Amino acid sequence: MPQQVLAQASSHSSPPATPQPPPPRLRQATRKQQEKDTQHREREPPPPPPPMAAVDENEDLIRAFAGMGGLGVDEAALVSAMGRWRMQPERRAQFRRSFHGFFSVSGGAAAGIERCEDEYLRHLEVEFARLKDAAVLWAMHPWERDARWAHHALHHHGGAPAGVALVEVACTRAADDLLGARRAYQALHHRSLEEDVAYLLKDPNAALLVGLVTAYRYEGERVSEELAAEEAKALAAAVVKASPAAKLVQNEQVVRILATRSKPQLRATFKIYKDLHGKPLEDDFVGEPCLQEAVRCLYSPPKYFAEVIGRAFMDDADRQAKAALTRVVVSRADVDMEEIKDAYAKQHGAKLVDAVASNTHGHYKDALLAMIGK
Amino acid sequence: MATNTFSRVVASPDEDAAALLKAFQGWGTDEQAVIAILAHRDATQRKQILLKYEQMYSESLTQRLQSELSGDFERAMYHWMLDPVERQAVMANAATKCIQEEYPVIIEIACANSSAELIEVKKAYHVLYKSSLEEDVAARTTGNLRIACLLQLLLALVSTYRYDGDDVNMGLANSEAKIAHEAVSNGTTDQGELIRIVGTRSKAQLNATFSCFKDEHSTSITKALPHGTDPTGYLRALRVSVRCLADANKYFAKVLRNAMRDSGTDEDSLTRVVVMHAEKDMKGIRSAFQRRSTVSLEEAIAKETSGDYRSFLIALLGS
Repeated sequence: MPQQVLAQASSHSSPPATPQPPPPRLRQATRKQQEKDTQHREREPPPPPPPMAAVDENEDLIRAFAGMGGLGVDEAALVSAMGRWRMQPERRAQFRRSFHGFFSVSGGAAAGIERCEDEYLRHLEVEFARLKDAAVLWAMHPWERDARWAHHALHHHGGAPAGVALVEVACTRAADDLLGARRAYQALHHRSLEEDVAYLLKDPNAALLVGLVTAYRYEGERVSEELAAEEAKALAAAVVKASPAAKLVQNEQVVRILATRSKPQLRATFKIYKDLHGKPLEDDFVGEPCLQEAVRCLYSPPKYFAEVIGRAFMDDADRQAKAALTRVVVSRADVDMEEIKDAYAKQHGAKLVDAVASNTHGHYKDALLAMIGK
Repeated sequence: MATNTFSRVVASPDEDAAALLKAFQGWGTDEQAVIAILAHRDATQRKQILLKYEQMYSESLTQRLQSELSGDFERAMYHWMLDPVERQAVMANAATKCIQEEYPVIIEIACANSSAELIEVKKAYHVLYKSSLEEDVAARTTGNLRIACLLQLLLALVSTYRYDGDDVNMGLANSEAKIAHEAVSNGTTDQGELIRIVGTRSKAQLNATFSCFKDEHSTSITKALPHGTDPTGYLRALRVSVRCLADANKYFAKVLRNAMRDSGTDEDSLTRVVVMHAEKDMKGIRSAFQRRSTVSLEEAIAKETSGDYRSFLIALLGS
């Protein structure tokens, strides 16, 4: 998967606390490095101080390059600087000298250059790629998208457990779309999705995941309240029986119910469970992230997706959480984006459109807003 | 290839409906006339006759047939008149109701069909029963821990959408043959890996695995399964699935042979195989049957059955 494969640098940059343009908080230079830098500069005659306008321009450009928040770069500002500083290599050199996180004067001193920091380069590649990835994903057939995400989840965990990404695809798609994704997976990889899941995942979640991924649920509205009550009781009994040695996710009843019942039937069951026990089912699935996610996805995809988007904007959001933003917007733009907007407003007291506009940057931001719609 | 034959010049649905009505009138039913028409119509034609009959005579042909005919003949005709995809859904649903005896039916439907055909059956099932085949199979687990292994296998077989290409990975076939051998030696415990293999791998890959097993252990996997008591039916289910996946024609020929053993005929199985496959792949089944038998399939059926039931089956077989 392009965006995740490219995103090597773990950027913990966060949105600026004050309106002032802060230096990019990518990698704090070590004390030793700073000392070396100052020592080096003291030996040379200091360069003439740049005129005030240039200082502002530098700061603007630094901000444009910083990919602040790790959610896009300001392409328009970059293009504008390219035009303004045409035929002025000294302006660019000045910029490099003032952009400490990205360019290291000491690192390139021997060659007479201000050297790029590799880590920052990689970070920047990810930011520029963010729009490209969004565009490619947007253009792809939804089934192929899902098949590629599923394959990536199985083969490149990258820290997040594979199960969690698979649950999202398996539980939020309509029955024929999940089937379509499975067909696309076969076309791409000459194996079925379920054989890879069953073979590659050797953790306790495997049985649940195979069940979810192979589901071809009845999609009608018929619901049996009696059955819902029965299965709510069965789930409660399973919760009581669970222990660290016999995890809930390996309980056959739980897997069976979640993997085979129709979604309306499951919602009825979840509702009865909440009425009986005063709390939603996923609260009793604490410690079993796959199960919790399955329940959330099955119960209300818009609510689940609004939560995922919310996490991407948090201060401590990691690479995975931010990558999820593109994934959710691209995959749901044509499905239930209006419901997601409603859910987001309920959860965060702010409009999704506003949150995206203030937390993302550049053409990436424009692309997201275009997909989300007014 | 199908075996039942269609007249070159087929009467129109109106004529067929009128002829059927004539066959029902008077004392008793002219069963031969009914067979002469319906056994020689394909699925589309049968559907048209059903519609026309209802239009012309304001009653359901299916219900009329049910009241005019009886016994094994009636059951065979009832299933024959169903649309082929619905027929399998109906048979699967009936089997889920007494799953501990009828699970082979479910395994046959899950394993002998192609992936696309199985999806069509499941879609028809949704429409007919407003639930999914998977949930009806899985729901039998409730309170029945004894047959948990059997149900785990059934659910896996029914849920999968196998890759239907010819790609085979021989290294994988070898390693999975080893896993299969270990599971087989375990009796009925620790079957998870074997169920995974049989329940997810493509048919081509499975055949490669079965070959590796045979090369390595000089016996086929089905023969290596422990014989003797099988209280939960899991071992038999495993045998049925392996046979069905490896060579469906050979498997159905065996079902037919077993159904017509001297110790009494199993009409349900006989009907099921003939009616389900007459318009599909009966020719292949018949060849497989003849390879291992001294008599032809028609001769065997003629010997073991009688009356209108026999006439109907023979008509479906095309002679």
